Amino acid sequence: MAELSCLVVEDSPMMRQLLVFALARIKRLHVTEAEDGVDGLRKLAQGKYDLIITDINMPIMDGLKLVKRIRSDEAHKDVPIIIITTEGSQEDRQRAMALGATAYITKPIQAPQVIAKVKELLSIE
Amino acid sequence: MASRAPIRVDRGSRALITSRVVSDEDEPRDGGRRASDVPMDLLKEREAFVRSFLKKGVEYTELLLRENRELREELDEVRNENARLRSQVASDDAIRDLLRTVERLEAERRALLDRSKQLERFEAEHEHRQAQIEQEMNDLANLYVASFQLHASLSVRRVVRHLQDMVGQLVGADAFVIYVIDDAAGRIVPIAHEHVEPSEVRALELGEGPVGEACMTGLRRLRELDVHRIDRSDPVAVIPLLADGKPVGAVEIVRLLEQKNGWASVDHELFELLAAHAGAALIAANLYEQAGGPLGALRHLTSKL
Repeated sequence: MAELSCLVVEDSPMMRQLLVFALARIKRLHVTEAEDGVDGLRKLAQGKYDLIITDINMPIMDGLKLVKRIRSDEAHKDVPIIIITTEGSQEDRQRAMALGATAYITKPIQAPQVIAKVKELLSIE
Repeated sequence: MASRAPIRVDRGSRALITSRVVSDEDEPRDGGRRASDVPMDLLKEREAFVRSFLKKGVEYTELLLRENRELREELDEVRNENARLRSQVASDDAIRDLLRTVERLEAERRALLDRSKQLERFEAEHEHRQAQIEQEMNDLANLYVASFQLHASLSVRRVVRHLQDMVGQLVGADAFVIYVIDDAAGRIVPIAHEHVEPSEVRALELGEGPVGEACMTGLRRLRELDVHRIDRSDPVAVIPLLADGKPVGAVEIVRLLEQKNGWASVDHELFELLAAHAGAALIAANLYEQAGGPLGALRHLTSKL
């Protein structure tokens, strides 16, 4: 089975590390980290990804702008995007979904929830 | 078999035949008369007798043949019946064998059902245990990451940021304030807050309110019920930050995230971690910055060993 790649865009090192820990439990999934939206775009320009996970609230470029940019990029316009949001920020979530996000995960994140969602979107057994 | 079938003879008919034959043989000895000497009526009588005798013989033969045929039929019936009974006995044996097989299969089925139920229980226990292990792994990962990030940084700003992430994203607090004790001023001052109105964030006296008490006593305060009620005089949680066992600050959780309906076991672990490590991490980062970097922070270290 071919390697799959995932880009995690999250400004909080703690949350990023937690996501990487969770995703490390999925076999053959290679994870790349980005500190914010701009860093995320830079990483996207350097390679192709099968999945993108991004936080909404980030400095420099937030998750909403990043989703919009990804959907206008020919190379990644069809890549599934999972947004990380809080239960209370329904407006952000709705905007992100309208901009082209595929799914969302609410904070505080739970590893089993993240793993299940990623497996579902990547069609991994 | 059919050719040796017994011929039944009627006793009355045999007596009649015997008496007539004896009287016919004896006739010439009675006076030695010839047929021509016999009177006509006697001849007629003898002829009638012979005819009657022959007729009786034919009838008797027919009777015997009929009885023979009937007996053969009866014999065939008996044979058929015998064959039927034999096959029935055989089929009864087969049925008994089948019943024994059914009983054996039923016993096997019951044993398999018991085994299947046992396996189902085992599988449910296994799934439950697996879920528990998953949760424990998740909790351990949270604790490890929180601890790692707290101590990975020697910048006060970053340590405070990690504290905020820990309280907000790992514990699930929506609104909270982080305080430290300002020893010089003898007060408790807020150093960071989230989703609390700035006008409601102020310095406190030692012993003032739940936060002031926690900073004096070093005791944690958790509201177990009604966790979504917002009341600054009775916050949902106040976690003192300790260094060397002494309070150096506190985290006041004002409001939890909507989806969080109570405290999980990992929350208590995170509070332990906060209490034991956050104060030390803040002190280390502060001293590090005051010393102007790693080498400055190590100055005079050898003299203390």
